[in-house]
Amino acid sequence: MKRQLIDIAEKTVRKAEDFGADQAEVYISSSRSFSIDVENNAVKGASDKRDAGCGIRSVIGKSSGFAYVTTVLEADLIEAAEKSVKLARASIEDPDFVSLPSAQSSYPKVKGLLDPVVQELGSEDAANLIVRGVDAAQDALENHETAIEAKFSASTGLTVIVNSLGISSSAESTSTWLYVSPTIKDGEEQTSSYEFQVSRALKEIDPEWVGRSSAENALSNLGAKTVEGGDMPLILSPLAASAIIGGGFAGAINAEEVQYGRSYISDAFGEEVASGELYIVDDALLPGGVGSRPFDAEGFRAQKTEILENGVLKSLLHNSYTANKDGVENTGNASRPSYSGVPSISTSNFVVAPGKGSLEDVISEVGKGVLCRFTGDRPNMATGDLSAMIMEGSYVEKGEIQHPVKNTLVGINMRDLLRRVEMVGADTRVALAIISPSIVISSVKITSG
Amino acid sequence: MPMEDLAQAAIEAALDGGATFADVRIENTVTAIIEMSDGVTKRSLASRLRGAGIRAFVDGAWAFGQTTDLTPDGMRDTGASLGRLAVATKSRVVERFDIDGPTFKDRVDYKVKTPFEDVSFEDKMAFTKMIDDQAKSFDTRIVNTRTIYGDLWTRMYTANSLGTSVWSETSLPRIISVSYAKDGTSRQRAFRSHGARGGYEEMEKERPQNIGAESAEMAVNLLSSEAAKGATYDVVMDPVLNGVMVHEAFGHACEADNWPAHTTVLEGLVGKSVGPEHLNLSDDPTMPGERGSFEYDAEGTKTRKRHLVKDGVLTDLLHTLETSVRLDMEPNGSARAQSFMYPPLARMSNTIMEPGDWNVDELIADTKNGMLLCSFNYGYTDPSKGQFQFQASHGYLIVKGEIGQMVRDVSLAGQILEVLAKIDAIGKDFEMDAGTCGKSGQSVPDMSGGPHARIRSVPVGGM
Repeated sequence: MKRQLIDIAEKTVRKAEDFGADQAEVYISSSRSFSIDVENNAVKGASDKRDAGCGIRSVIGKSSGFAYVTTVLEADLIEAAEKSVKLARASIEDPDFVSLPSAQSSYPKVKGLLDPVVQELGSEDAANLIVRGVDAAQDALENHETAIEAKFSASTGLTVIVNSLGISSSAESTSTWLYVSPTIKDGEEQTSSYEFQVSRALKEIDPEWVGRSSAENALSNLGAKTVEGGDMPLILSPLAASAIIGGGFAGAINAEEVQYGRSYISDAFGEEVASGELYIVDDALLPGGVGSRPFDAEGFRAQKTEILENGVLKSLLHNSYTANKDGVENTGNASRPSYSGVPSISTSNFVVAPGKGSLEDVISEVGKGVLCRFTGDRPNMATGDLSAMIMEGSYVEKGEIQHPVKNTLVGINMRDLLRRVEMVGADTRVALAIISPSIVISSVKITSG
Repeated sequence: MPMEDLAQAAIEAALDGGATFADVRIENTVTAIIEMSDGVTKRSLASRLRGAGIRAFVDGAWAFGQTTDLTPDGMRDTGASLGRLAVATKSRVVERFDIDGPTFKDRVDYKVKTPFEDVSFEDKMAFTKMIDDQAKSFDTRIVNTRTIYGDLWTRMYTANSLGTSVWSETSLPRIISVSYAKDGTSRQRAFRSHGARGGYEEMEKERPQNIGAESAEMAVNLLSSEAAKGATYDVVMDPVLNGVMVHEAFGHACEADNWPAHTTVLEGLVGKSVGPEHLNLSDDPTMPGERGSFEYDAEGTKTRKRHLVKDGVLTDLLHTLETSVRLDMEPNGSARAQSFMYPPLARMSNTIMEPGDWNVDELIADTKNGMLLCSFNYGYTDPSKGQFQFQASHGYLIVKGEIGQMVRDVSLAGQILEVLAKIDAIGKDFEMDAGTCGKSGQSVPDMSGGPHARIRSVPVGGM
């Protein structure tokens, strides 16, 4: 399969060159994913998806064109190769474009990207696993009217990247995901919460923990009240840090956004942008990391990049285009959602170094403030202004959680938020966009009503 | 082999494998995306999506899969394996039911004046460049521009084991302009978009031809805005923001798959009052020429207007075939899927608040002290908690009934069951805006809108 796809990719690169491309790049991904859904406490359905497709980038001079197809059939690939060349011809040249990445001498060996157990997982095994998660949640919620939604997925993928300059790379990986979300009723009141684990290896998924934690989270959301607003400390749990730091800060150090002056961090580059408490690296080589990989979405070798050290911004996240434009080293952060997207820039594993203490320790240290467990908000990336609803969170007083909050919003500019990090816990976990412990911001504006 | 026969091959194989219901969507989609920044092409992308999404069902158990192998063997193999998967899943299912509903046989050819394929890449590029230049040259304080043109044409064949056999077609152009303005240390961003259902001719109309200037003007105006002060305010929403409110605060909670899943705070309220008597909310995929419109849904059910809230009473929901059976309500064609690679879900289309009787100037004058909030950045909701949030891109303080200082990035949070009761005045104007709605990892094009309307006493977040 791998050899076959590399051959197809190499042929397609030549095809695009025949149509007139100076340089061409072919990105093929082939995946199989199996998933199971639970609705109202019982299995409801399953899906078995096989997807293989191809994205082609053709460069003529300083102009690029892209095309993709949802198959790897020869006729479709030829059509796409031709279209990509046509699009490159029609494009307005980009004076800052230099070249696609050139051949890499070697790729780092990253451990733990592939779990054979995931590759061979049967539908019965998958169903047993999700049922364990649901049962654990139900056991913890036996005194409440409960409706649990859950999803488990296991996927295996192969990515192949070949370009005209000698890049020829392929990598296989697996990933699994378990999500459990109970909705509970308590008299007239209804609330919900969730928990999940994501991993490359099945053995790291603990369905009982996911189920039980989702239930505890839901119970802790009962009895939500508004609070008296004002300026006070904010504790971001790892899931909230994922949205605000993993989304709101990582997005601001995307070199393309900075180069265009679209990022609130643009004017602050090279300066102390954050509190000395905050150490962040982007680490594509983390063994078994969900964002780990030997090469990025352009086939450039992956690496570990220091982002924040002692509050000083050490590097932006680059792909080949932005690195060439700035005349700096490529950090290997080109990314694509699949064969269907063009290379942009994103993090691999965005890791916040732990400080000390559990969440309880952090809460007791803070004394009075608000804990944000989860928000779906993100800052305005141009201004850095963040106005976020606390989707799940609690009011903290006397060093203890008092009650959950509702209709409560946090307001702060990201530049202030980064400088006001006064404490970092040691309760590190893998969230979607970050690997982080809890983070304390010394003062934010809370509005509630 | 004709599509009808390919679909039938998959359906029969699924039924032979033990399914009692099966359906197939065979899709052929062509898209183009052109993105420009500061007059330079950043992305020009063409794609073709061709494949089939297949479902098999038995006794309450679903199996979903897809194939791009559109041959009789490919379709039969996928259908058969999904039939077996549905049977294997059945043993774990607790709630048993059947899939039933009306069947349709039809062919919709969506006629447009200028099909996208008749317009060259060069012409689309030139239009995108014109908009990008228009934004850039609007004012010296515009420091970066970004323009995205996109078109999508789809031909879909949908069939199921009940006898439905429907050909449908759609054509959706969109233009987006994002402008960044800078003055001293103040940096601002504005986003404007125009989307419709139709051919390339839709992009030749007045608003899309001027969308660059529209976004640039907003970015420049935002330079003199202030961050809003967080507090509880009486809020007047403009039509675009009102549409987002209806979508986030209510529309999602009306998706009928929430009922069997017990994940909406509206669960016990069908037929009951959920807001004031002057309130009417609808979701209408039959509006001509709108981005959220379609004649048949992803299950091949003919669409009709849904009166979600009529005179303050929750009267209709957004149904798939499954939810209409399980809730014993009429199907209304609300099943949508991002592409053949995803299973259909209950979704919105064009979601609106129906106009009321207030003159907009009188509505603002009557508000005394509050905020007029306009346009939107984004919003989201969790119907199982009944909580929602959405963010206006900008707004104005209302002081003594008059519009004052401009403010920006204003978030508004609330409870689904509380917010409608707080709507005490509805304007007689009407406008909609294009959007894209996300649910369970699937994005679909939609529209939302309404008149100006006032909500009393809601928390507004600020710096």
